[in-house]
Amino acid sequence: MKEESLPKISKDLCSRLLSDLEAAKRPVLEAVKCSLDNSFYNPKVGFLTPGKKMVRTELNVSSVQKMSRAIFLLEILLRNVETGAVNTKRELYYMAKGEVKHSPELKPLDFQDQSESDSVIDFICEMLECYREELNCYANDRGGQTYSNQLVVTETLPDGGRAVVDLGSLGTTPFQPKNRPQSLQLKAKSRIDFCLIVESEGTANTFVANGFCKRHRAILMGAQGVPSNAVRGWAKLIQDQLKVPIYFFGDLDAYTMQNIFRTLKAGSAASLIRNSDFSAPDVKFLGVLPEDIKKYDLFDYPVKESDPGEARALKKAVDALKNDPFFKDRRNKGLAEILHWLLKNKRRCEQQSYFTVNSRDPQMPEKIIVEKIKKKNYI
Amino acid sequence: MAKQKITTSSTAEYFSKNLQQVGFSSPTKAVLTTLKEAVDNSLDACEDAEILPELSISVEKIGAGTLKNTDLVKIRVEDNGPGIEVDDLSKVFGEYLASSKFGRGRCSRGQQGIGISAATTWAQLTSAKGVTVITRTPKMRQAVSALVEVDIKNNKGVLKDKKTLSWDRPHGVSVEFVIDGRIQLNGEGGLLTYMTGTALVNPHVNLKFKVLDQPWQTIKRVTDRAPDVPEATEPHPHTMKLGEFIAHSHLFGRSTAATWLKKGFSRITDNAIGEFVKNGMNKKLTDTSVDKLNEANFKDIFAAIQKTELMSPSTRSVMTIGEEAFSKSVRRLGEVDFFAVVTRKPTICDYKPVAVEVAVARLKDGNAPSQDGEAPPSSVLRFANRVPLQFDKSACAMTKAVETVNWRAYGLAQPRDSVPMGPYVIAISLVSPFIKFKNASKETVDASDELVEEIRRALMQAGQRLSRHIRKEHREADLEEKLQHIEQFCPILVDCLCRITSAPATRKKKATEGIIKLLGRDVNAAKKQLTEAVKEVKDHEARGKIQIIKKESAEDQTPAGSEAEASEAELTVDANTAEAPAPKKGAKASKKEKGAEKEKAAPKEKAAAKEKTLVKAKKVAKGKEKTKEEELA
Repeated sequence: MKEESLPKISKDLCSRLLSDLEAAKRPVLEAVKCSLDNSFYNPKVGFLTPGKKMVRTELNVSSVQKMSRAIFLLEILLRNVETGAVNTKRELYYMAKGEVKHSPELKPLDFQDQSESDSVIDFICEMLECYREELNCYANDRGGQTYSNQLVVTETLPDGGRAVVDLGSLGTTPFQPKNRPQSLQLKAKSRIDFCLIVESEGTANTFVANGFCKRHRAILMGAQGVPSNAVRGWAKLIQDQLKVPIYFFGDLDAYTMQNIFRTLKAGSAASLIRNSDFSAPDVKFLGVLPEDIKKYDLFDYPVKESDPGEARALKKAVDALKNDPFFKDRRNKGLAEILHWLLKNKRRCEQQSYFTVNSRDPQMPEKIIVEKIKKKNYI
Repeated sequence: MAKQKITTSSTAEYFSKNLQQVGFSSPTKAVLTTLKEAVDNSLDACEDAEILPELSISVEKIGAGTLKNTDLVKIRVEDNGPGIEVDDLSKVFGEYLASSKFGRGRCSRGQQGIGISAATTWAQLTSAKGVTVITRTPKMRQAVSALVEVDIKNNKGVLKDKKTLSWDRPHGVSVEFVIDGRIQLNGEGGLLTYMTGTALVNPHVNLKFKVLDQPWQTIKRVTDRAPDVPEATEPHPHTMKLGEFIAHSHLFGRSTAATWLKKGFSRITDNAIGEFVKNGMNKKLTDTSVDKLNEANFKDIFAAIQKTELMSPSTRSVMTIGEEAFSKSVRRLGEVDFFAVVTRKPTICDYKPVAVEVAVARLKDGNAPSQDGEAPPSSVLRFANRVPLQFDKSACAMTKAVETVNWRAYGLAQPRDSVPMGPYVIAISLVSPFIKFKNASKETVDASDELVEEIRRALMQAGQRLSRHIRKEHREADLEEKLQHIEQFCPILVDCLCRITSAPATRKKKATEGIIKLLGRDVNAAKKQLTEAVKEVKDHEARGKIQIIKKESAEDQTPAGSEAEASEAELTVDANTAEAPAPKKGAKASKKEKGAEKEKAAPKEKAAAKEKTLVKAKKVAKGKEKTKEEELA
């Protein structure tokens, strides 16, 4: 969906609602149902796509509050789009509160906390089938710090100007991808062999400090946990514009497999409508693989089922194998097998365990990673 | 190894060294246990003599205690019971395991004859003085006063300072303990909680009490019918062990074994004896005299009985308070909004007859929500054989049953595996001739699966009954919310749409009319649902399954005879006439004030706050309904 068309689509929608009301007909708002039961995975497309299920919100006394809030926030967002102003969700929350403060008749719309306004913003995006960045609402994105001696990024600025960043000239300072990576153009100064995304930001920094980028013609990125929109969009951009193989290196546990790697590779059920721009289907799972534990004699430990987070991740893994179209697809059999292994053995192994292989050689994890890439030991 | 001398000690000696086992583990508990034992004895005696009990209780501080951080507390309990013969005084108050109730299989409060002797011992140990008793039976011309102490070495009661005196009561007993202790008024182990609890499950009691410097308070009886305490039934053979079984036979001397079995046990008939024979009992034994049976014979008979399926023990020995009396009693808990009472039929749990009664009531001025809008947990009142249990609640069968019921299904907020939240009181009364307490101080009932399930069922029945009323309130609140939504959101929605589309005023007017028409239909549907819910509650109320306390005018609330008892703070109105307590002054707030209150209420999502909002909404809905109808028209 094009950004330019959003104000028009919004106005058309509002006009339709108004016409319905004039005719005393119940207006209905429809939005794509963003949930796993409405997700489809086609390996040729490479990411989760929405099915035909829609969430219908018909105007009645119960939904009138939600609908009023949605139209109220839509008006603020459209104003931003028209003027080119950008805001975070938190800022929008305060802006909404400010409107209420200055117009007492709007008091019933007041948000008690940010989660309320956030859910209305999400609803608007689902209704207009756009992502919030298209409505100039940016997240305070984290992660994605990138290092490379070969990469040059050109950013198109809102005023039409251009900014060129040569990552090789930044030294050990990382490049931070923007919320809308679509406005970036990538170019390789010289050949790039691969891109490595490391789950832990700290480990990625260690690799750089130890000279990873000097020894390899590569792009190194820290994901910092569950990938934000910026990380996802950035990975997609690297995949599409540079056509280099991308590898993900993270923990061996159910949480990493599903919440981090699956989201990076195929998007998530919650973001069905924007997975096309925020997933990198070619990314491979480099490790930690179950066989690595034995091969490198890695230090692993049992999953603490008493820990609510870990227990939830295991339960989610069972659900994923049953219901997640990504893991159910036979092309991702290898990844599903990892989940099976995790459920069966109830053990986990962290990415930092590579440092146990030879604690006196700081480059050992790097050597293992490169060896794995060379031997195509990934899924 | 040097030869050690083996000595024996008396029961009194054992208990005097282990008083913590019978409820004297702390100074606070000591006061409550002493009071409890004295009250239990009075109530049991009145019931045995079929007298409507009139108790007068005073608990006061008279100085500093001898133990660290304690006060010297005087506890006085006076009853109008049949009195105790002077010869029995030393046994009742000064001898352990001397009881008129032990092993009788009746639902009396006291069972073993330990409690009151333990209280005497505690008094003796802490204030060097036993219990002062005044007694008068109907046959005595004058009352007798004496000091009873425990001869700890020999487990005997010792009577001292015996003298006669004139007493205004025709019969009764007065006991006075002076002990070291600490007085706790409120909370789970509080004396006032004990008084209210005792009154709740003993609707036939007139209770007059004075605690510390507070004025005398009276809780009047709500029924003039003393409970019929059923006679004990014969023991069920499946509840006995071999040794007990053989000992039981000695009561039947020369009778034949068949006669012994049929007369000495419940649920054994000729057919059952035939079954015993089929299951391996020698037929000849049935005609053998009991005193001729040897150990092997007893074992044969016992084994055959254990193999045979028998009817469950009789439930005739179990008594209940009854839904009617319990309902009247519930109103004495405070300002009750509405309540449901359930009396389950006596049943068998773990081979013991048991009856469960439950009352769930919502208090008007119950536990107020905390500052963050969270409602506090409901109060759970536990009773075993009509005695309040106030300590060690977590392991009790009754608490477990409350926690395992899904109260959310009945409209109450409930955290996982916890008691429900809100201004509710859940009273559970368990009556059985054989309650399985976890300890001698009778503070906790053993949580067997069967018993917990039986209590759960009673609670669920009460929950179902309450839910109808709660649902009605939800509907009322729902209607109110819908009316508010129309008023608040319609103009905003239309305004926003018109601004975005730059629509002219004519469109705006037409759209406003349209939306009000649309949403008016929803309101009508909500009203219809509410009417149905009200009808449902009324039907239920008519059937007596749920009782809603309606507001009455302030004049009607003045208790009869209040002038005569002006010095006494009346806890309740005369419940014989089943009048509701008076509403508080200024309870009728103006519409505006109520509206403002509602705005201040916490968000609807918070379950606990919702409860509060519902009550408020109920009040507001009625007043606003007419105005909204006019507007809609």
